[in-house]
Amino acid sequence: MSQPSRFRLGCDIGGTFTDFILLDQETGRFEIEKVMTTTDDPSRAVDDGIVLLADRRPEFPAACENIIHGTTLVINALIERKGAATALVATQGFADLLEMRKEIRYDIYDIAAVYPTPLVPREHRFELDERVTADGEVLRPLENTSLGTTLAKLRAAGIESVAVALLHAYANPVHEQEFAAAAAVAAPDLIVTLSSDVLPEIKEYERTSTTAINAYVRPLVDRYLARLEDRLRQRGFDCGLYLMLSGGGIIGTAAARRVPVRLIESGPVGGAIAAGHIGKIAGVRDVVAFDMGGTTAKGCLIRDGDLPIATSLEVDRVHRFKRGSGMPVGVPAVDLVEIGAGGGSIASIDGLGLIQVGPQSAGAEPGPICYGLGGTLPTVTDANLVLGYLDPDYFLGGTMTLDASGARRGIEREIGAAMQLSVEEAAWGIREVVNENMASAFRMYAAERGGDLPAATLVAFGGAGPLHADGVGRKLGIGKIIVPRAAGVFSALGFLVSPVAYEVSRTAVMRLGTAAGPKLESLYRELEATAGEAIAEATSGPQISFERIAEMSYLGQGHQIRVAVPAAAGSANGGAAVDTAALEAAFATDYRRQYGYAYDDLEAQIVTLRVLATAQGHAPEIIVPFANAARDDSIKTVRPAYDPIGRRFTDHEVHAMDRLCANQNITGPAIIEERESTLIVGIGAVARADPRGWVEVTLGGEMS
Amino acid sequence: MTTGASATKIDPITFQIVWARLISVADEIAATLVKTSFSLVVRDNHDYACGIYDISGRMLAQSLQCTPGQAGATPRVVAAMLERYPAHQLSPGDVIIANDPWLCAGHAPDVFIAAPVFRAGKIVGVVCNSAHHIDMGGRLGGTDAREVYEEGLIIPITKLMVAGQPNDDLFRLLRRNVRAADKVIGDLRAQMAANHVGARGVVQMMDETGLESLETLADEIIPRTEAAMRAAIAEIPDGVYAHSVDHDELDPDGKPIRLVVRIEVAGDRVSLDYTGTSPQVPKPINAVFNITRAYSVFPFVAALCPRLPMNDGVFNAVSLVVPQGTVLNPTFPAPGMFRSLLSYYVVELIYGALAKVIPDKVMAPSGTYPLWIQKFAGRFDDGRPFVSHFNAQGGHGARQDRDGNSAVVFPGNIASTSVELFEVDAPMLCERKAFITDSAGPGRFRGGLGQEIVIRSLAKHRISGAASGGRFRHGAVGLDGGKEGGRGRIQFNDGEPFARSSQVFYDRGDFVRLCQPGGGGFGDPLSRDPEHVLRDVRQGVVSLAGAAADYGVAIDRDTLRVNVTETARLRTRNAAAAE
Repeated sequence: MSQPSRFRLGCDIGGTFTDFILLDQETGRFEIEKVMTTTDDPSRAVDDGIVLLADRRPEFPAACENIIHGTTLVINALIERKGAATALVATQGFADLLEMRKEIRYDIYDIAAVYPTPLVPREHRFELDERVTADGEVLRPLENTSLGTTLAKLRAAGIESVAVALLHAYANPVHEQEFAAAAAVAAPDLIVTLSSDVLPEIKEYERTSTTAINAYVRPLVDRYLARLEDRLRQRGFDCGLYLMLSGGGIIGTAAARRVPVRLIESGPVGGAIAAGHIGKIAGVRDVVAFDMGGTTAKGCLIRDGDLPIATSLEVDRVHRFKRGSGMPVGVPAVDLVEIGAGGGSIASIDGLGLIQVGPQSAGAEPGPICYGLGGTLPTVTDANLVLGYLDPDYFLGGTMTLDASGARRGIEREIGAAMQLSVEEAAWGIREVVNENMASAFRMYAAERGGDLPAATLVAFGGAGPLHADGVGRKLGIGKIIVPRAAGVFSALGFLVSPVAYEVSRTAVMRLGTAAGPKLESLYRELEATAGEAIAEATSGPQISFERIAEMSYLGQGHQIRVAVPAAAGSANGGAAVDTAALEAAFATDYRRQYGYAYDDLEAQIVTLRVLATAQGHAPEIIVPFANAARDDSIKTVRPAYDPIGRRFTDHEVHAMDRLCANQNITGPAIIEERESTLIVGIGAVARADPRGWVEVTLGGEMS
Repeated sequence: MTTGASATKIDPITFQIVWARLISVADEIAATLVKTSFSLVVRDNHDYACGIYDISGRMLAQSLQCTPGQAGATPRVVAAMLERYPAHQLSPGDVIIANDPWLCAGHAPDVFIAAPVFRAGKIVGVVCNSAHHIDMGGRLGGTDAREVYEEGLIIPITKLMVAGQPNDDLFRLLRRNVRAADKVIGDLRAQMAANHVGARGVVQMMDETGLESLETLADEIIPRTEAAMRAAIAEIPDGVYAHSVDHDELDPDGKPIRLVVRIEVAGDRVSLDYTGTSPQVPKPINAVFNITRAYSVFPFVAALCPRLPMNDGVFNAVSLVVPQGTVLNPTFPAPGMFRSLLSYYVVELIYGALAKVIPDKVMAPSGTYPLWIQKFAGRFDDGRPFVSHFNAQGGHGARQDRDGNSAVVFPGNIASTSVELFEVDAPMLCERKAFITDSAGPGRFRGGLGQEIVIRSLAKHRISGAASGGRFRHGAVGLDGGKEGGRGRIQFNDGEPFARSSQVFYDRGDFVRLCQPGGGGFGDPLSRDPEHVLRDVRQGVVSLAGAAADYGVAIDRDTLRVNVTETARLRTRNAAAAE
């Protein structure tokens, strides 16, 4: 008889595949499964995977402690405009804010630029006769007739979900709440999202955009979760269902239904968390999580184990890799960089006679030329094949044979001929360009955040990450690379080590006089109560820890920095007042650290308060150790692959990842293959199989 | 790669990696500048430019983010600096500064800071960045300077640091002449720090690739870029294309300032001749040659080859004749603090000329310039002083195949002001910020919409404000039969519309109403798809009356459907009336 808490299931719905990882907490072992995503009803794929896993471990549904779920449902609904019939209610005179955006161009040279179509068309944007000032004072009470007329218009327009975003509602939500109360009586079926609930922060455009997105996806997420819960019950589950949030942390379904916008970008989060987790176990301070797949590459710098969190992200971009071309979402989100560089990225010659790689991607269909599925344009994968880094007979574990001569012909035709390069040199050029593109993006990302890349360890995963880690790592001056086993389901693995956590915020613009201390204390306590409730809905028992953060700037500055609020002396959970002097000192210290100097003559102000509540728990050390027994059968073969220094082919030993034994050393040039990815150990580099379940590569030798 | 790079010819892959790396280093300079600068104009509006140069002053790479004006002015600055301080006489730790409007970007706040790059004791290149400073002295606000002396401290090409030691005399002079001196000096340091990052990046790149000099690289990059730019220009049919634009501002004789251009295209060569443009005026709107050059090249890049990396090659491909003493090439000491009031019109001047031959590449005039920036200064009721800005934008001109964007800045790039932040920063209330119905210039494709803004004082103390906008007399005209967008209007307490940007004083309850212009239309509005007109009517951006009068589309008020027969009748009648 297994214990009811024996298993935990991580499930990540991606664009193409739904990944599963089932952890048996008794043995520390896990099962992996992968099924095709079912876009019409994603809960079906979840069900499919569970059936397959239950075939192997029939006892697991009844003995599952919890299921942690990440989904692209929200982002897809937005991109495909498949959300509810949504209306927006704004303050009189301001219904156009949603469409006016920030009035800035995302590309100064693009005079044909277009912007995302507003989620709510102008005819469904209504106004209320009311006004609250920046101090939260009611300047004009909400008119009853205006309220009644607006509700009638919403009904007439067949609106299912409404976003209410009134000016300064973060300072005083009274009118938004009056609207919600009236709507509950007059139109009980209408789903109402208030900006003061979703994002009680200053800046009307960002708040309105976020509220509108939440309203737009809410009915859809509600229906989806109902279907999913139903399927799980039918399969005999009786356990907690948690959703992965964009900012790391997981939360229960009640909060997910209220604020689905928080789920918007959970895909890349799992990988970053898992990379940070491995970094912790390995005892390295700073980690660059490097995830390269078929279409994009992502990078995330995790310093000292702290996942970097931004307070907003951008979705539904007109140009996926152009900042500012999408809609802002004010939710905590893992701060990472994404660029159009993947195995499927297409190589071509541009108007300057240079090799261009991406951001266009051949995707999975038609895919690279070598897939033989009709692709005619050379891609990064084709280049890796020509260079001998990929084995045409062992792609996806041999389930697919690659067409090497097709890849050669394509590269020769599209790149080699135009540049008068041999096919191998052209292939190397493609690889160099895509590596440089990624390295440039990571360098910029680090420069903007004041990070030190050479001091970090690169944790590489995703289908193409291990294949390019050597090249990207060298360009960044990074000395050490870690490639985890089971890199193919790395994201889902991250879900399992994520704690139940929830962040809430509220704008309260104030200067730091001594009088501010008690006010701040009471505001923080309110926020702690709100965040604590969301945690309590999801889990009972564990101790909740609260982290207080203040977003501060000098008076009159537009940008704030995040400052951890120092605990008041004498009490663990804060005294009667926040210590404003200590907070001001902390701000100056942080400002100096970020910008190199601080100002004695300028007054500091608080703009937004945040509280991160985390349920204390024990994160399992999820690893797949290598066998201890010394054995000598990891070499599969020796094959020629490109040597970028000698500019010729040399023999590379090819090893099987799952046959490595603990502490085995492999000196480059070598190739280590796993079912879904291939690790290149460059010339001068040394790889070591760490007993705890990853390969550590120490780079050395000449730069390439 | 270590082979081949030091030879006369760089191998093609190394060459392109090195080029990409240089642009990446220029972007790192920008990122460092943005991160460390105090100036919000730098941080929020990217009002800067960062570049990498060889020792003869040729620009090889520029940051992707920057404003067109500084982007276009910057290539010439370093060459001028190296004339004053020859490369071989520079030492490690030297820093050169300049903001002289005629050598730099046309007004004092744009300060250029350059540093030599040394590798193994030898100068290999120069990095330079410019940033719009929060103050450079001179009078505040106001649009009535008559000479450049009133517009702040002019710094000729000078050393700010000598072999790592600060030029104390210059620092003391600066401190004594500018407001908020700590922040200004702080921003100069930020510029130096950014160059430091750039120099390190260049040296690292050279170490990694074995590249010995930037000259070899410049010899490849610049001609290749110029060739690509020329190939793009060659797509314009040969011929001479002339155009002129009248500005709202008047010359001393009371006539509108006129900008004139004659564009000659022959094969892959293009030359622009501005002869006929109005003489310079004693108003702070004259645009120096560097700025005119910037806004002469920008429209070609934007229309023809927006992805081209910026370097000297881009600028070499366009030749200019701008007569001295005109508003587009003023002589010292003409004032030019607000040169963008005029220089932005150069874009529509050029597109107006080119519309005849490449109508699919250009855009109609926009209602977004001159910039509408409202400034307010006064005190909160508790006596605290405040200074605040309110930015918002009009509508873009239409293109041949699409409507113009509503409320998006062009051709500069500054963000709008958040209403809520504004109301925290000033004791004022924004009562309205909404699109203006029928403000889009009608056309087969219409312009972008203008917007209406109302701002009221809630303060006990009197507030002084500079209300600035434009297109009061000349709206954004249409192209190819498209019509003019809604004109600009500024009213104080709903009184007489202003004739020009002016100073205003607000007592409690006083308010200003700003109607920002729409963009010009493209093509005959009578040929607009009636369904598009219907959509606009449903959305309330075109009125029923506007649909009938401007587009000849009859829409039933109750059913909101197009009346096909009545539309046909209206269109025939309107077309006849236009004959």
